[in-house]
Amino acid sequence: MNLFFNIRKNRIFTSFVAALFLINLVNIIFFTPMIADQHWAQKIFYVHVPSAWVGFLSYFVVMVSGFMLFIKNNDSWDDVGLASAEIGTFFMGLVLVTGPIWAKPIWGTFWIWEPRLTTTLILFLFYLGYFMFRSFGGNIERVRRQAAALGILAFINVPIIFLSVQFWEPEIQSHPQVEMTSQPEGILYPFIFSLISFTLLFVLMLRYRSYILKSRQTS
Amino acid sequence: MLLNLIKKELLIEFRSKQIILSMLIFGLAIILIFALSSNVSSEILSSYSPGMFWLMNLFIVVLGVHRSFAYEKEFDAFSLLVSAPINRGQIFLSKWISGFIFITTTQLIVIVPFFNLLLLDIPENLLLFILTSMLINLGMMAIANLVSGIVIRSNFSEILLPLLMFPLLSPLIIAATKISSAVINAHSYEVWNVWVLIVVSIVVLFGLAGYALFDFIVEE
Repeated sequence: MNLFFNIRKNRIFTSFVAALFLINLVNIIFFTPMIADQHWAQKIFYVHVPSAWVGFLSYFVVMVSGFMLFIKNNDSWDDVGLASAEIGTFFMGLVLVTGPIWAKPIWGTFWIWEPRLTTTLILFLFYLGYFMFRSFGGNIERVRRQAAALGILAFINVPIIFLSVQFWEPEIQSHPQVEMTSQPEGILYPFIFSLISFTLLFVLMLRYRSYILKSRQTS
Repeated sequence: MLLNLIKKELLIEFRSKQIILSMLIFGLAIILIFALSSNVSSEILSSYSPGMFWLMNLFIVVLGVHRSFAYEKEFDAFSLLVSAPINRGQIFLSKWISGFIFITTTQLIVIVPFFNLLLLDIPENLLLFILTSMLINLGMMAIANLVSGIVIRSNFSEILLPLLMFPLLSPLIIAATKISSAVINAHSYEVWNVWVLIVVSIVVLFGLAGYALFDFIVEE
C-alpha cells in the first residue's frame, strides 16, 4: 500500500489545509480586534468554539460509522469510526483545556457546570472508556460491532445530557458560542474562517488516520 | 419466550440469591459509610440525601448488573443463550425487566434504613417517592444492562462497566436527584415534570436502542 503522502491529491490537500491554518493563526493573533474587557483571553474562542464543533462533528461521524457498519457489514467503517473517535477526543480535550483558560480571567473560576462544557466533559470521559474497551475488549470482530454500538449510544445521549444540565443549573447560561453569533463582522468573519479551517483539518486528519488504520489491516 | 427468559432470570436468583443479597449488603455498607462520614447538620444532610440515595443505587446497580451477566459466563452459558433460536432483543428485555425487579426489591428494603441511619425523616409521600424511583430504575437498568451486555465478554469487564456506564447515566442521575429532592420537599408536579419527561425519554430511547442493538452486540 502506498504511503499517504505519496499520493499527489493528498499532498495537495495537506498543503492547502496547512496554508489555511497558518493564515487563520496569523489572522487571529494580529488582525482580529481586541475586546475591551477581555483582551487576549477573548481570542481563545477562535480556537475553542471550532474545536468544540469539530469534537461534536467527530462523534457524529462515529455514530454514522456505527450505523454503516451494522448496515453494510464492512470493516472500513470501523476504521472511520475509530479514527473519528480519536480525533474527536483530541479536540474535546482541547475544548476542556481552552475553556478553563478563558474562564479563569473572565468568570473568575476555572470551571462552571455550563451545559456545553459539561456535555463535552461527559463525552470525553465516555470516550476514554471507549478506548479502554477497544484495547481490552477481546475478540476483534466482536469489539468492532460493540464499539459501533457504544458510538451510537454516546451520540444519542448528547441531547439528553445537554437538556438535563441546562435544566439542572438554568442560571448558568452565559456562553461564548451564543455571543459569537451576535458579534460584529470584525469578529464574526475571522471566526467563520477559523471554523472552516478546523473543519478541513478534521477532514484531513480523518482521511490520514483512516488510511493508516486500513493499511495496518491489509499489511 | 420473553416470559420464559424472565422466569429463568428470576428462578436463578430465587435459588442462588446472589444478586439481591449482594446488592442489599453493599447498599447497607454504603449507607453506613455515608452516615459515618457526614458529620454535618441535619439540614445539610437532608439536602444532600437525594444525591446520596442515587449514588448508593448507582454503586449497587454496577454490582447487581455485573453479577447478572457474570454468571452467564460460567460454563459459557451466554454463548448457548445467544445461539438459541430466539430474538436476541428479548434477551435484553428479560435482563432489563429482571434487573428492574432486583433493584426495586433492594430499594424497598434499604429505603427505611437509609433515612433512619442518616437520622432523617422518612419522606411523607413515601409512595410517590417509591413510584418515581421505579421509573428511574427502569432507565437505569436499560442503560446498565445494555452496557453490561457489551462489556461482559471483555477482559476487564468489572472495570469497563462503570467506566462506560457512569457517563451515560449522568443525565439520569441529575434527573433522579431532582425528582427525589422535589418529592421529599413536597414540591408541586409543575416544578419537576420536566425531569420526569427526561427520564421517560431515557427509558424509551435506551429501551429501544437495547432491543434493536442487542442482536449485533452479542453476535459471536
